[in-house]
Amino acid sequence: MNAVGQPMPRTDGRLKVTGAARYSADVPLDGMAHAAIVHSTIANGRTVSIDTTSAEEAPGVVAVFTHHNMPRMNPTPEPWSHLHPHGQSYLPLLADAVHYAGQPIALVIAETLDQATYAGTLIKVEYEADQPVVFNRETAKEAVDPPPFLWPVASSVGDADEGIATAAVTIDQTYTTSDRHHNQMEPHVSTAVWDADETLTLYETTQHIFGARELVSIVLGIPPEKITIVSHFLGGGFGGKAYVWPHTLLAALAAKVVNRPVRLQLTRAQMYSMVGHQAATIQQVVLGAGEDGTLAGIRHDSISPTPVFDDYIEYAALAARSLWAAGTGIATNHKVVHVNRNTPTAMRSPHEALGHFALESAMDELAYATGVDPVALRLLNDTEIDPYSGRPFSTRAMRECLTKGAERFGWDERTPEPRSMRDGRYLIGQGMASAIYTHWRWPAKARVTVHQDGSALVETGTHELGTGTYTVMQQVAADALGVAPEKVTVRLGDTRLPASHPSIGSATMANAGASVMLAAKAARDRAIELALAGRDAPFAGAEPDDVLVADGRLVLARKSLEITYAELLARNGLSTVVGDGDYDPVEEALGPKAVFSFSAVFAEVRVDPDLGLVRLNRFVGAYDAGRIINPRTARSQAIGGIIWGVGQALLEQSETDPETARFANRNYSGYLVPTNADIPELDVLFAGGFDEEASPLGAKGLGELTAVSVAPAIANAVHHATGKRVRDLPITVEKIL
Amino acid sequence: MHPFSISVADDPGRAVAAHAQDDHLSYIAGGTDLLGLMKDGAAFPAHLLDINDLPGLAGVDATPDGGLRIGALARMSDVAANAEVRERFPVIAEGLLFAASGQLRNMASMGGNIMQRTRCSYFRDGDDPACNKRRPGSGCSALDGLNRNHAIFGWSDACVATHPSDVAVALAALEADVVVLGRAGERSIPIADFHRLPGGTPERDTVLGRGELIVAVEVRAQAEGRASHYLKVRDRQSYEFALVSVAAAVETEGRRLRSVRLAMGGVAHKPWRLTAAETALRGADLDDIGALEAAIATSFTDARPLAHNAFKADLSRRAVLRALQTAGARA
Ligand SMILES: Cc1cc2nc3c(=O)[nH]c(=O)nc-3n(C[C@H](O)[C@H](O)[C@H](O)COP(=O)(O)OP(=O)(O)OC[C@H]3O[C@@H](n4cnc5c(N)ncnc54)[C@H](O)[C@@H]3O)c2cc1C
Ligand code: SF4
Repeated sequence: MNAVGQPMPRTDGRLKVTGAARYSADVPLDGMAHAAIVHSTIANGRTVSIDTTSAEEAPGVVAVFTHHNMPRMNPTPEPWSHLHPHGQSYLPLLADAVHYAGQPIALVIAETLDQATYAGTLIKVEYEADQPVVFNRETAKEAVDPPPFLWPVASSVGDADEGIATAAVTIDQTYTTSDRHHNQMEPHVSTAVWDADETLTLYETTQHIFGARELVSIVLGIPPEKITIVSHFLGGGFGGKAYVWPHTLLAALAAKVVNRPVRLQLTRAQMYSMVGHQAATIQQVVLGAGEDGTLAGIRHDSISPTPVFDDYIEYAALAARSLWAAGTGIATNHKVVHVNRNTPTAMRSPHEALGHFALESAMDELAYATGVDPVALRLLNDTEIDPYSGRPFSTRAMRECLTKGAERFGWDERTPEPRSMRDGRYLIGQGMASAIYTHWRWPAKARVTVHQDGSALVETGTHELGTGTYTVMQQVAADALGVAPEKVTVRLGDTRLPASHPSIGSATMANAGASVMLAAKAARDRAIELALAGRDAPFAGAEPDDVLVADGRLVLARKSLEITYAELLARNGLSTVVGDGDYDPVEEALGPKAVFSFSAVFAEVRVDPDLGLVRLNRFVGAYDAGRIINPRTARSQAIGGIIWGVGQALLEQSETDPETARFANRNYSGYLVPTNADIPELDVLFAGGFDEEASPLGAKGLGELTAVSVAPAIANAVHHATGKRVRDLPITVEKIL
Repeated sequence: MHPFSISVADDPGRAVAAHAQDDHLSYIAGGTDLLGLMKDGAAFPAHLLDINDLPGLAGVDATPDGGLRIGALARMSDVAANAEVRERFPVIAEGLLFAASGQLRNMASMGGNIMQRTRCSYFRDGDDPACNKRRPGSGCSALDGLNRNHAIFGWSDACVATHPSDVAVALAALEADVVVLGRAGERSIPIADFHRLPGGTPERDTVLGRGELIVAVEVRAQAEGRASHYLKVRDRQSYEFALVSVAAAVETEGRRLRSVRLAMGGVAHKPWRLTAAETALRGADLDDIGALEAAIATSFTDARPLAHNAFKADLSRRAVLRALQTAGARA
């Protein structure tokens, strides 16, 4: 039986629930000191003096660093690249300037974390403070055109404005999303260990060990081969741990100076300013359509904040480039506003989850303006050609997502009139939205070793973020080798392993997975060679293609011959056979077809009209993520993504204090994420299938797709329930009353 | 966190004496609020006196006049599960069950609950913003800052914070007494007088002084207790402080309200009694929504919302109506 396609439980589940899994902060090290960062309380200005005397004298303190004595670093490299990604270009503790609240200004190293933290409170800082600039509708008027980052900043296909100007029906609305933070359960932590021979090991909370190695190498000026990055388990990444943030560099430098291992863990509050977040957006969507709902023109513009020293772009309008056909044209643009904050970063699901809220809300408004059913409207504007690149989509099961999802949800029974559905005192609302998600193709390497006992080892420098990587790689290798999954051990998260790509953009299954498949096939082929032409070759004279693998055996069915891997290796006096997998795909944008994942999602909400409370009643998500490798971990991804989207829709917002420019609610008590009580049964189904353009495994990205369009589906359901169109997330009580 | 010492109290009298002598001593019960405050730099006790082992303070007992005496060290979950409480004062059980989380309720004590400090994000901000409650005289960041979660009643320019306790609101509706042991023995403080309005000294939440220890909360026997309800309105379904909350307790004659007790949380620096509405509601018909609404509105003429919480006045009136109806349905 194939392992791929089976709902295998996580191989590391027991380790995790028993606490045996070793996360980055759990690695025990002899002689380790602890670091605590002291951060600025102002958001703009400079430090005039930093008095560290009492801190240095406090119990247990080993060293105190400020910009006066912190070893120098090289600047972060330009241009920015996924190969050596810095979270933000500005490195603290090098000068007296302060550009954002919560910027590191001192670092205390002590015997214990408590001692370091306490000593930090004894540091006296004098500032010269200027009024900070915060992001709001007023300052958004100062938005400027940024240089391109991940994609072109603006796009124009055809003539969108013409399509809008001549349309029978137009929708022109502004939608806003809030600042949000990842709030992974596991805080960012970096443990730096220098060996006698000047090699640096970093136990790091990272989704990108190889990128971290390159960036650390560049900024600290040490050759990459002298750096090892280890990350065996992550307690959530969500994009926030994809790039290298300044604290990692500080930990490495401090460990060098104090000449012992140093562990630097951010506090929950510091995770709001020392690592990234999802920036708020102000988006304008203009749709022009015929009376039957056929789109003629789409214009989508977005403004988001970025710090004074970086040009981070939330590509919210990206989705509009490829989601629906618009006969006359599609135009998009992004602008940024420079404010006093730290640099935003990718957060599940960057760009798309923000843009789809605007675009798919606008589509619902168009449905109501034209009287066309929301599902029918999307079927009408579906396209087999990517409007942006003009390439055909490799696979696009949007229709299937729409029709299967609608059927599972019971969309037919919905009465379209707002406020027309009730359950006792509650108003019931049903809404839907679709989504498109970028597919990333990246190079990845892996090695598979088959041992004499018939077991196999997979080694690849990818990551386990909580998504089930250990399990799915086991499945992929097991099938390619023809062994039982239990026979396969997987090693991840160490730069001494074959190099892989960042575990972001939902890319791991399709890319790292492909490298594992190729490596396992290479090992299998090596074994087949031995069976055909090795010592005492059992299948001598047969063709490689005649040989099948199953149950730990090589089988020549035609002659009813078989031999186990174990026997084969023993016969050849080998302890192992090894296969290398080198997956080197063309970049998605350069391929012959446009590769994206798709979904259609359906939400039912229950609104207490007297108290303005919105709760999710049920949810159906239909996803085209290509071939599903493990339905169980895939479903878990979808559930997590939907819940993530519920947070975006109803709860999450990082509030900025207008005076101090601090994120004011920087803790779990003030920053609300959904609890179990907020989440009903979630129904997940998969449409589509094998996509050979996406990956040799046939898989497309799933994890982030599932967090997209939850918010517009809910907002559309709220409109259906109440007649109120909420264009500003999250949808809280005061917006309903 | 700053360094501190801790010792365990074994006798209430000695605990009170120690507390009286040392300005830097703080009692600690469940520690679920105090430790957070210490981590956030909003409390700096040099010495903690662990009162958890004090004898006789953890029970829920009947009083001679038919009321209940709830010990200061009784845990929130135990009180919520108590059969007498659930049957005779459902508003208390609900006020407790809708608070915090299961784990917290198992740790948290009744005394600590009514003593917990505001959740104003400026007050809890370790980076020490202007906050008169945190640092008297430094100003109030919330007044012109983020104040969605703040007061609409009784605030001063010095502080616009709300009191976060749920069960205190229920106790306010039931006109409970806080029983306090001082150096001169026990005294009872009506809960309405226990928490303070901020005025010019928002650093003081309650009238409790040095050398005083809460030993119990006493609730009189009352007809309204059974037909009572605690309604908590919040953005999230669970594990969140109230945006606004209502404790309602009624006595009826048929569908007519004979007596009504109403208190609100999330709207003021203390549990807020709606006395005008209580009077106006007397004799009203539970099915006459218009009359109920008009009567409720009488308590909101002096509401003074802030920049971000204007919705609270409207939401509160709606919540009071709902709570009244639910309590009425229990009569
Ligand atoms: C995440 C979170 C969510 C929460 N949500 C809610 C909620 O929704 N609703 C709600 O009502 N509460 C909520 N709480 C607050 C919680 O109920 C209180 O923290 C708890 O009740 C305090 O009790 P404790 O025994 O732990 O007090 P401690 O933390 O031990 O003490 C708190 C204060 O009371 C003083 N004190 C304690 N006992 C006495 C006494 N007998 N006499 C005099 N002074 C005393 C202490 O000196 C200290 O100043 C929440 C708390 C947290 C951490
Ligand atoms: S409302 Fe009160 S607690 Fe909040 S900042 Fe103002 S003074 Fe401090």
